[in-house]
This record gives sequence, structure tokens and C-alpha cells, in this order.
Amino acid sequence: MKMNIKYKKLVIAGLLLGSAGLWQACTSDFEEMNTSKTKLTTLGADELPFLFSRAEQQASYQSGTYQIAQNLFSDLYAQYFATSATYFPTDRYVKRDDWITGHWNPVYTQVVPQLKTLFEQTNPASAEYALANIMWVFSFHRLTDYYGPIPYSAAGIPALSVKYDAQADIYKDFFVRLDAATTALKAKTSEKPYGTFDLIYGGDVNKWIKFANTLRLRLALRISKVDPAEAKKQAEAAYAGGVLENIADDAYMTKNLAGDDANGLSRIAVWNEFRMSASMESVLKGYNDPRIGIYYQPASTTNTFEGLRNGLTPAQLALAKNGNNDNSNVGTRWVTGAGAAWNTNFTTPQNILHSAEAYFLRAEGALNGWAMGGTPKELYEKGITASMAQWGVTGASVTAYIASSAKPVAPGDQQNSPALSDIQIRWDEAASNAVKREQIATQKWIGLYPDGMEAWAEFRRTRYPKLYHVVNSENEDVPASTYIRRIPFILQEIQTNKTAVDDAVKLLGGPDKASTPLWWDKN
Amino acid sequence: MNKILRTWLLTTMLATFFLSQAFAQDRPISGKVSDENAAGLPGANILLKGTTRGANTDAEGAFTLSVPATGTLIISSVGYASKEVTLTASISRIDISLEPDARSLNEVVVTALGIERSAKSLTYATQKIDGKQLTDVRDANFVNTLSGKVAGLVVTQGASGPGSAARVTLRGNRSISGNNNALFVVDGVPIDNTVQGQVGNDFGGVNGSDGASNINPDDIESMNILKGAAASALYGSRAANGVIMITTKKGKAGAVTANINSGVVMENPLILPKFQNTYGQGNGGVSSETAGASWGAPATTYKDNVKDFFRTGVSTNNSFGVSAGSEKVQTYASYTNNYNQGIIPNNSLMRHTMNLRVSSQITKKFSTDAKITYTNQKINNKPRSGEESGAVMNVYKVPRSVDLDKYKEYENANGEPTYWTSSSIYMNPYWTMNKTSDLEKRNRTTVLGSAKYQLTDWLNVQGRISLDRYDDRVSRSWSNRTLLFAGPGGSFEDYTVAISERNLDVIFSGNNNIGKDLALTYNFGAGQTYKRYSQNGAFANGLLVPNKFDLSFAAALNPRADFSEKMLQYVFGTASLSYKDYLTVDFAARNDWSSTLPKPYSYFYPSFGANLILSDALQLPEWISFAKLRGSWAQVGNDTDPYQLKQAYSFSQGGTGGYISRDDTQPAGNLKPEISSSTEFGIDLRTFDGRLGLDVTYYNSNTVNQLLKLKLAAGTGFANQFINAGKINNKGVEISLTAKPLRTDHLTWDMTLNFARNVNKIVKLDPNIKEATLAGGYGRTASPVVTEGGSYGDLVAQTWKRDSLTGQFIISGPDEKGLGAGKPVVADGLHKIGNFNPKFTFGFNNQFSYKSISLSFLIDGRVGGTMTSGTEANFASDGTSEYTTAHRDGSWVLPGVTSKGETNSTAINAETFWTTVSGGRYSWGEFFSYSTTNIRLREVTLGYNIPVSNTFIKNARISFIARNLFFLYRGYAKLDIPGVAKRKLPFDPDVNLGAGNFQGVEYGNLPSTRTIGLNLKLGF
Repeated sequence: MKMNIKYKKLVIAGLLLGSAGLWQACTSDFEEMNTSKTKLTTLGADELPFLFSRAEQQASYQSGTYQIAQNLFSDLYAQYFATSATYFPTDRYVKRDDWITGHWNPVYTQVVPQLKTLFEQTNPASAEYALANIMWVFSFHRLTDYYGPIPYSAAGIPALSVKYDAQADIYKDFFVRLDAATTALKAKTSEKPYGTFDLIYGGDVNKWIKFANTLRLRLALRISKVDPAEAKKQAEAAYAGGVLENIADDAYMTKNLAGDDANGLSRIAVWNEFRMSASMESVLKGYNDPRIGIYYQPASTTNTFEGLRNGLTPAQLALAKNGNNDNSNVGTRWVTGAGAAWNTNFTTPQNILHSAEAYFLRAEGALNGWAMGGTPKELYEKGITASMAQWGVTGASVTAYIASSAKPVAPGDQQNSPALSDIQIRWDEAASNAVKREQIATQKWIGLYPDGMEAWAEFRRTRYPKLYHVVNSENEDVPASTYIRRIPFILQEIQTNKTAVDDAVKLLGGPDKASTPLWWDKN
Repeated sequence: MNKILRTWLLTTMLATFFLSQAFAQDRPISGKVSDENAAGLPGANILLKGTTRGANTDAEGAFTLSVPATGTLIISSVGYASKEVTLTASISRIDISLEPDARSLNEVVVTALGIERSAKSLTYATQKIDGKQLTDVRDANFVNTLSGKVAGLVVTQGASGPGSAARVTLRGNRSISGNNNALFVVDGVPIDNTVQGQVGNDFGGVNGSDGASNINPDDIESMNILKGAAASALYGSRAANGVIMITTKKGKAGAVTANINSGVVMENPLILPKFQNTYGQGNGGVSSETAGASWGAPATTYKDNVKDFFRTGVSTNNSFGVSAGSEKVQTYASYTNNYNQGIIPNNSLMRHTMNLRVSSQITKKFSTDAKITYTNQKINNKPRSGEESGAVMNVYKVPRSVDLDKYKEYENANGEPTYWTSSSIYMNPYWTMNKTSDLEKRNRTTVLGSAKYQLTDWLNVQGRISLDRYDDRVSRSWSNRTLLFAGPGGSFEDYTVAISERNLDVIFSGNNNIGKDLALTYNFGAGQTYKRYSQNGAFANGLLVPNKFDLSFAAALNPRADFSEKMLQYVFGTASLSYKDYLTVDFAARNDWSSTLPKPYSYFYPSFGANLILSDALQLPEWISFAKLRGSWAQVGNDTDPYQLKQAYSFSQGGTGGYISRDDTQPAGNLKPEISSSTEFGIDLRTFDGRLGLDVTYYNSNTVNQLLKLKLAAGTGFANQFINAGKINNKGVEISLTAKPLRTDHLTWDMTLNFARNVNKIVKLDPNIKEATLAGGYGRTASPVVTEGGSYGDLVAQTWKRDSLTGQFIISGPDEKGLGAGKPVVADGLHKIGNFNPKFTFGFNNQFSYKSISLSFLIDGRVGGTMTSGTEANFASDGTSEYTTAHRDGSWVLPGVTSKGETNSTAINAETFWTTVSGGRYSWGEFFSYSTTNIRLREVTLGYNIPVSNTFIKNARISFIARNLFFLYRGYAKLDIPGVAKRKLPFDPDVNLGAGNFQGVEYGNLPSTRTIGLNLKLGF
């Protein structure tokens, strides 16, 4: 039975045509197939609280970036800690471009997108919008205070290049936003924006008003040398609006064992890479400060509190007295253990903003002659009391501390450093304003611990406390006899946004170096 | 979709089956092909002239084939003159002997999609490896044994011991964000070679496995390497990097035959670092028991600490294969067991592979082929590579005066680790070995079914389906107090990765003679590839009952869940027109529809090629036995990964109810497919009766509009952007020279020299972004980058500052800004210190045979290329390297000038110097960069065919085998440091941190090994 050739050809042609037809139909589910099932592609009202949580977490640097964003830079430059690891050169003023992106990227890629969505999807008069505005300022002030000019007004707008704004303009906008936020919130005190997804206050609007005003007060003092009039105006408005006064209102961030969401300081303190600085040792030991045993733990080998100097070379770090076991790790709030074996407390809440700082800011404002609701002395002493209470120290020891004329001592470190300063605790109305400013700043420095970002910014503004110079600098722009004043623009930006960076150098008002002061730094 | 296609396939098969009833009956024919000495010739090809129907001879030279009543059979084998036999109705058996002939090139090779073609008609370069070359010398990943055997093929091994993924590139690198690995195709169908999680920065990690290592070399009949786009274009996107085509064994009709291949090898580190044995733990010349370094006073040292930590690995390979069959059904079944011990005591791999293949000639015109392969693999404790706390780095960090034997007790009574120092990341290596674990279990099933129907004398249709599915179950534990990794109570991770791929295709193949001199062969068809990836499991950050390694004890569970799928559909056609058998012109085209691209999902790419067999077309001098010119131009299109087009938002654990955040890569909804085009020309020349052969190929390929993930100014809200950009050019030459210097009755000598040179240029990157890192961002020692105007894999690192006019080293001056005088000064920014790719590679293979004895050896080498060693940077910083003993007394005056131009006169000591240029974890990479030029004795095999008179055992062969024996030459450090003797390359550049695109950096890599062993093959 031979098949007709014609028929055979027809069958083949039919098969081919049929298959070609099927192909057309087969791509119909491609779009559905290429839509991720493990991610979201649209956002609705239900998702907004999750976005706010994310912005809060990232604005204060999560577990994974805390070290490279904060600990290896500002925590060292504030001299809360000194590097004990031989391989970390930032303590000798070397800039590490591979780490510093950990400070830059979270703000732009993790805070800004979430907040922008909230701005777009909430009513500008709502409490949700106001909270987003506050987190915007909180996040950006920590960024601009590292570099000076940064992309700000054009942040979050897709483009090939993003322009930088001058720090003065950025600060101007901070005050506008904080004012708008507090105004809006005053009308919403019965609401619970974001509810439990607000990791700081659980949606407590009254506390957020105090938070925003305290932040406004902080920023007002920051510009007090460069723009005293505006500083006064903003500080007085902040105080009048109500700042943090009670430790019950202090801002902490909830931390979680799940995800990459642990307390950053707890996570890194088990790695034996940093220890108490000699500066902290000089002050806390000299003051016989009860917080020393809370902030730090006795050194494993000596069972005493010991610190080391910032900027030691690998060879110096290897010397006796500079080793990890000879110096103090952070307190048991964050880690427990001894020697090389440490356990971490991942879920310790992160310190964000405290009433003690508000008192010290007001004390300085009062010294400037601003209406801060108290005399410098009263506010200085309330600041100490609040800080002690914040760390669980109350009663007679606090009274005695305030009355103490103790001064910093020589820490007895490997470098045989002298005492950090001769500033005493006890307030003396007869003392000069310079002394009073140093007292306030020194106590605020102690009180801000472990927030090295704010402490470094305030050191640059006030030059108090009188920190040690680094023992060695490996940055030609910042000799060891000077202090680092900013972080130069980051390599990643030069690679991706060069024209904008070139323009930004003009806004900086000096060369793009670590020695160029920021706009508000008039020292 | 899937359903529709299946229905269609079924219909097609049914239709063809139905049609089969209409054709005349065929009949079986059997026979034997022997060589000039009357010995059976295995692997000879029997082809029904004018069709694609054929068979191969078995180990004894026997074959069976179903043939029509009349026709002509072409019988051919490599190196032999082919013969033709005219079939008559009375012939049912053909016994024929072939004569050696170098002119003969009737060898049939398997090309893309499994299409068989005569080698001489190919218009592009391929290179064949016989299966036998892969079964004597073994490696846990057989891909590693390809090194040196193919011109232009570069293998890099991952640093995680047995089971590590291998990186195989052909003709250089072309993809920045994607994969550069060659595609593996088994029996015409691509197999999944997903290279899972490779270490992508020098901090480190554990390298995942790949898919190709599951291919069992004992089942391989032959391997053909399609190097360029012209050869591989029919595979489309995935074949842009070339294809390694593998044909596996089939059952043969006739008596039952069985083969046993059994081997045992021992492994030891090929080279270990050279340590100093004078100074002990301490710093500044003072001893200290807590120091991490060895800059202390002279002390008793333990010179074999490192050597003794590694063990001699013993590995075995046992394979059993049986072939049987009738005229109608042939079966091949095999079982192989591989057991590989790593040189780190708890590291091992166990693999069982079972394979069953059934080929049936159901009717004269209808044949089927079905294969199922099952692999069960278990890998224990793949070591971590990189600086993080892996066993290798931990043992390297032990100070010279520490008696490591004491630390075999790795924990104290409280379960706390015992240490030699208080390091932040480095631990007692015995703790790492005993208190952390990593187990990976794989179950893989690959099923292939194909049916072929001879529609007419000149046209057949083939339908194929393949399913490849595997699950990797990974369990990892870290005991409480393990630095870096353990949460409170310890940490545990348990997850399963499931990967599956399904391929369907239908191919019509035909041939027609047009007139007397013109022959046309063609193939056309359609197919579909569907791929799915999923991951499920969890990580327990903290265990409520310490060290109970199960997810039930988790303090907090972090889910690991992932899913992706993609589908590719394609139609293709090829046509090959030959004139008088000496001029062939090829056309091919393919159109793809990919689910990963925006509408209309479609892209088209053609290829053309031509060849001219000069020796047939013209009268050439007598001494030229064969000469062929070939040229081709081809395009290959490429799609991308799933989910790149739309903005996505990810959920993550933490906070009070979790987080949602926008992904930080800006999607591109208007992506275009990527197209790479390549041109190649080649000449194939055989002279003096084939005693000398030369094959030269020149190629030039351009990959444009790459689908790239590039950085974006973060101020936009995105850290990365996904765009079409760039132009990457690769051009080069491949030369393969074969010679048979000796060919007497008993003694023969064959040699092959492979040579390849590839030159890469990044012609364009992006109008705004001029440099991109190759995964992982900027590293701790050096970073591989692509820079416009540079070439793929340039390494940038921190360097010693030079005077811009005189080139003299800059040394810090006295009291200059507190930097300390007499020390090297680092240059601003990162500078190019080399490129990780070799300038050229070669392999020189020699085979001698004398009666029953055979000897072969392979020397291979790579010339040029740079690698930077983070390990060396640690040794330098720690004062453990041999070269750190010089100038410890502080007499080291570096020649150079201060930035003010004054000649340096300040003396420093070795410790100051080495700790300045290396902080250990972070270093000035230029000081630790080495030329990777090396030449080594790669393989030696000495075999003896044992004469057997036993009728049960048909043949027996025992061989002594050795791999990676020693270096004949090793390169030196790129920087000659004044006052330090030249430093020789202290590690094997074949081993890299991982098998991804982050190459050129060595950091805590497991040393490569030298293997020596015995292998026994028995045939029944």
C-alpha cells in the first residue's frame, strides 16, 4: 500500500502549519509567567505600614550595615570606641569606599523609595504622612552630616544623574518638614498611625510630636554657629512645641531575631574588633561615672575598665595593653562573655533619641540666651539625671555625681596618655561660658552613647569634649595633629554621578577632602 | 501551553506511526568491521547513503542496522578509508575490513540538536574527545579533566573541594552580569548546568555545585566541542558561550558485553605556602601568647602544622556497564559509584549513578530511544573559601610557634572554643572541622525519550522529550559560639533547592539530490524549553536548646523561599547545499520567543557558512592529503533572567510584622534581546598521508546590547539599573597540530598540540557608567572589573605610589604628617594591576604505544594572566611567610623618594613594612599579585593490556594514572619589592574562589591536589 506522494506532502505541510499556529497561542501566558510569585508588584493601603517599618529600620541602619555605616566611621571619630583589629584602617583616617556605601545606599534605596510611596499614597494632612516626613529628616540629617552636600531635592527621581544640594538648603527644608509634621500631628493625637508597624512608638502621636521637636532642637543647635538667628527661632519653636522630657518617652527601635534585624551593636561586638576608647576611659574613670559598667565591661585579663587610643598601627595594636583581652568590650546590654567567647543579645532595642539629649540641647540654648524653659545649670543637671535614669541609675549616687568636682584622669593606657581634659562635673555659675559649654558637651557626649553619628557631628560643631588626636593618620589630608571633618564624596557616586559630584564640590566650599569643614562647622 | 504542546507531540507521533504502516518493510542486517590487523574496530560508523540512518560498531566491531531492500552503506571510521557496500536482497551480513587512510574524513560528528554530519562538511571548528580519554584519569568533577585537551577551552576549578562547580569558557568571556560557561548537551538535549551560589567576593562562602559534574564519564561515548556561535547557533541563547556535546553509550545488538572500570587514587596538596620557621607568636620582636601574628622573638616553630592538617585523600571509582540487545531492542545499563575524600579530613563526596538506555527499532521505519539516568550524590562539608572563618584560612592563620596538636582539643569543659588568639573571625581549625557542618544531598533524575520515523527515503521526523529534575537538600549547622555564624545556642539552616528543566522538540530532517552534483540536506523543526527553580526551607538564627540542629529548636525562623520559571519556544531551520562533495554552503536560522522579554517576546538570528575541500576541488601536490577552507558568520540571540521587566517589592522578616521594600534595581520594561555575532575562518590541512595535521581557526565575535545590571546613581532610589548596553569584542586564534612521528608495526607515537589565544576588548560600556565590577563589588585585595577601553577581567587594586616623572617608589618622609617615615605610600584610588585571563593557553599531548603497553602524558600551560592572593596578604601581615624573615632587625631602607623628592634614608623593619602594605584582611593588592603563567605535567597514564586467554574475560587493562603532577614552570610576583627575593607563584591558579565571574582573586582557597592511582578495566 503505497501512499500517494501528494497526500504525504499535504500531511507534512499540515503538521508544519499546525505547529506554527500553535506557537502564536503559546506565548499568551508569558506575561503571567514572567510575573514573580514571591514578590509584590503592586502596593495598596495594606502594604503601607510595612513600608514605614522598613524606612524606620533603614534610617537607623539595620544589623548588616550598622558596622560599615556607623561603627567603622563615626563611632571611632566620636571616640566611643577604638579599633582593636589590625585590619581596619578607618581609625587612622583611611577612607574605605567599599564600606561607606553601607552608609549611603540604605538612605537612598531603602528609606527614600518607601517614604516616597507613603508621600504619594497618603494625605499630606494625615498622621501617616507626618511620620514619614519626620523619618525623612531623621534619615537625611545623618547623611548630610557625613558629607555636606548630598542629593536631596531630586532624591528618588529616576534619572541618569541626580544633583546635590547645598547643606544650608537641606537644613532649611528639614525645618519646614518638621514644622509641617508637628502641625499636622497636633490635630491627630487620637490616631495610631501605622499601629504596631511603627517600630519606635507603636503609633503614639504625642510621643512623635516630642520626637520631632527634639530633632528640630538638635538641628537648630547644629546651625547655631553658622546661622544664630535661625537657630534661635527654630530652637524656641521646637521647645515651645514640646520636646522629650521624660525617659518614658525616649525613642528606641524594636529589634528582632528574625531576618537581618538584630541590634547592630550587639551583632558586631562579639567579633573583637573594637574596644572602649582611652577617651571614654579617661572621662568615665575620672568622673567615677556609674555608667561605665553599663556602657562597658571589665577587660578579661585585668577585670578593670580599660580603653585604647584611636589610630594605632597594627604593630602598636599588637603591643601588650592594646589587645582585646586587655580592654573593655561594650556592656552586657549588648553582649555577654569574656576573652574571645561572646554571646550576643540580638533583640536589645536600639537607642534612637533621648530626653537627656533634649535637656543638654536646651542647656546650651539657654546659655545662648534662648528661651529654653530653664537656666543652663538646671537643664544641665536635669540632663545628667535623665541620662543616668535612662541607664537605670537613680538616687543618691546621681546627686553625688552632679555635685562632684571630679575631672578626667590619665587612662593609664599603653600610650601613657594624659587626662583628656580638666573639666569637672559640678556646674560653677562663676565659670566662663567656654567651660560651661565644655561641661554640657562632655555630658551630652557621655549621654549620647552609643550614637556615634550624633556625637561625631556635635564634636565637630563644638570641638567638645577635647578628644585625643589619633596616634597615627594614614590620610595625608588629615594629619594626626588635626581632626577628620567629613567623609569625602564616595567613589560609587564619582563612578555613577560624576557631573553632579563635580558640581557638589562647588557647593562644599572647599576641596573634596576629609579636612574640609561642613557648612555648619565654623571651627 | 505545556498541555497543548504535549498533545501536539503525541498527535505527531501517532500520525507518523500511522503513516509507517504505509511504507515498505525494511530488514535487519548485521556484520563486523575490522581493522587492517583483523581486530574488531569499535566505534566505526555505518551509514545508509543519502539518509541519516546509521549505526556504530560495538567494542568488538559488531553492528546491526535496519536497511531497505536496496541501497548503499558507507562504512567509515576515524583514520581509515571509508568503504561503500551496495546492498542486494541476498546480503544479510557484512564483514568488512578498513584500511588506514589519512585522506579519509568521512567521520560523522554530532552537531547541534544531535544532528549528525560528516566532519568534512562542517563550516566551523569543532574538536572531538573520545570517551576513553575521560575514563582513565578521574576527577570528582569530570569537567576538570578537560583542561589542556581542547584549544581555547579554559577550566577553572572552584575552591570547595570535591563537588565544586567548574567554570568552563570557550573563546573567552563575553557576559558581564550573566553566565560565561559553555552549554552542556547530552544526546542532543541541553542538561541543566545551573552553577549554584558561587563565592562572589573575597569575604567568601561555600561554593554551590553545578549540574555538569553529574555527568558520568563512564557513560560517555564521545564528546564534541562546538566552540563558536556558528556551531552552536541552533541551541540559541544558551549556546552563546559554545557547547560541549556529549554522546552517551547505547546498547548494541549481539552478545552480551560487560565492562568494569575500577580505580583508586590518592590525593595530596600540589603546593602549600612556604612558611618561615624562625620567629614565633608575638609582635615587635616580643613574644606574646595572645598575638595573632608571628612577629615575636625567635622560637620553636611547628613547621608542619599546615601540612599535617591536610590528609591524603583516597578516592575510588567503580563502574559497571552492560550492553545487550537483539535486532529490535538494544539495552545499555550501567552503575557507577564515586567516592572522593577531600584533603580536609571531614570533606567527602559519594555519588551513585544509574543509567538505563533502551533503543528499539519498532518497525523498519520507526525507532525509539529512551534513557533514564538517576544520580544520588552526597557531599559532606565542602570547605568555605575566602577570608571568612573556613578551615583553610583558620589553619593558615595559626602562628608559627603554636603547637596545633594541643588544639585538637578544640573545646573546653564548658563547650567554649579553645583558641590561640582572640581573633574576630578566625577560629581553631579543629573547631571549624568538628563543630560546624555542611551537608548537601542531591537526587537527580534525567529522562530522555525520542522517537524517529522515516517518512520517506529522504525525510524523517524525530520527536524528543527530556526531563531533568533535581533536588538539593542542604543542611548546615554552626555550634554555639562559632564566630561569625552562630546565633545564641548555635545556628542551623535546612533548605531544598529544586530545579527542573523540560525540553521538547520535533525535527524534520531530509536530503535530496538535485541533479548529479548538488546535494541538499536540511533540518527544520520547533521546540520548547521550560525551566523552573524553587527553594524552600529556613534558617534558624539561634537555637533554644543549644546545639540541637533541627528547625524545631529555632529561636527564630527565617524562611528561605524562592521561585522562578521561564519558557523559551523556538523554530529553526537549516539547509546545507553541497556541490560535488567539495563545496558546502550552510544556512541556518532560528527564531525564539522568550517569556523573560517584553512583547512580542520574539527574536530572530541567522547564520551562514561555507567550506571548500581544496584537496578534492584542485590538484594539490602529492604530500597534501587533505586541505579544507571554511568560513562562517553567525548570530546568537539571548534573553535574560525572569522578572526583570517589572518593579517588584520584596518582603523580609523582622520588625513587628515584617518589612516591605522596593527592590533596588531599576527594571527596564523595554528590554531588547541581546545579539552576539561572530565570524570565523579556518583551515584544516593534513599532509604526508596524515602524519601531520594542522587546524587553524580565527574568530572575531561581538556581543552588543548586553542585558546588563549596571550601577546607577543611588540618589535615584535605585542602586542598579537593568539596561541594554555595551559592546564586547573577542577575537583570537586556535591552532591544533597533530602528528604521528612514529608508526611502525609495534611502536606508535601520536602527538597533539593545542594552542589558543584570545584577545578581549570592552569597546563600549554605557554612556554614563564607564566601569562595572564583576560581581561582589570592590574586594579586599583586588577586584575584577570591566572598564570601557579595557578588557574583561582587568584587576584593580591599591598600589604603591610612584613618582609621576621618575617612576621611583614614594616613601613616607620623616615627620611627614604623622604617617611615620620610611614606609611605602599608597597611591590614591585603585589601579590596574593585570587581568585574570591568560594571554594564551596550550596543551601538548603525547601517546606512545608499544605492543600491549601504552604511555601518554599531557603537558599544559597558561601564559600570562594575574591573580592576587589575599592569603599571601595575610601571611605577610602575620609574619608567617618565608620572605618575612628578611629585615626583621630594622635595617630596611627602601629605595625611593619622599613626596618632596628627597631620597629615603629612614630604615624600617619587616613588620612595619608588611603590616603597612597588608592589614591582613585588607591589603594593597599590588604587593600580592602574581603572574599566573605556569606549565605543568597535567596527566600521565601508563597502561598495559593484559593478555587474556580466558573466554569469559575478553580484555583487561591496567593503568597507572597521575594528574596534576608538578609544575615545570611557575610565574613570579608582579612587584619586585626591593630587599626581598623574587617571590614564586605560591598557589595553583587553576583554583579560584568560585566558578562565577569573580575571578582572579585567591583567598583561603583549598589547595589543588596531585592525584596518583591505579585503574583497572575489564571487558566481558
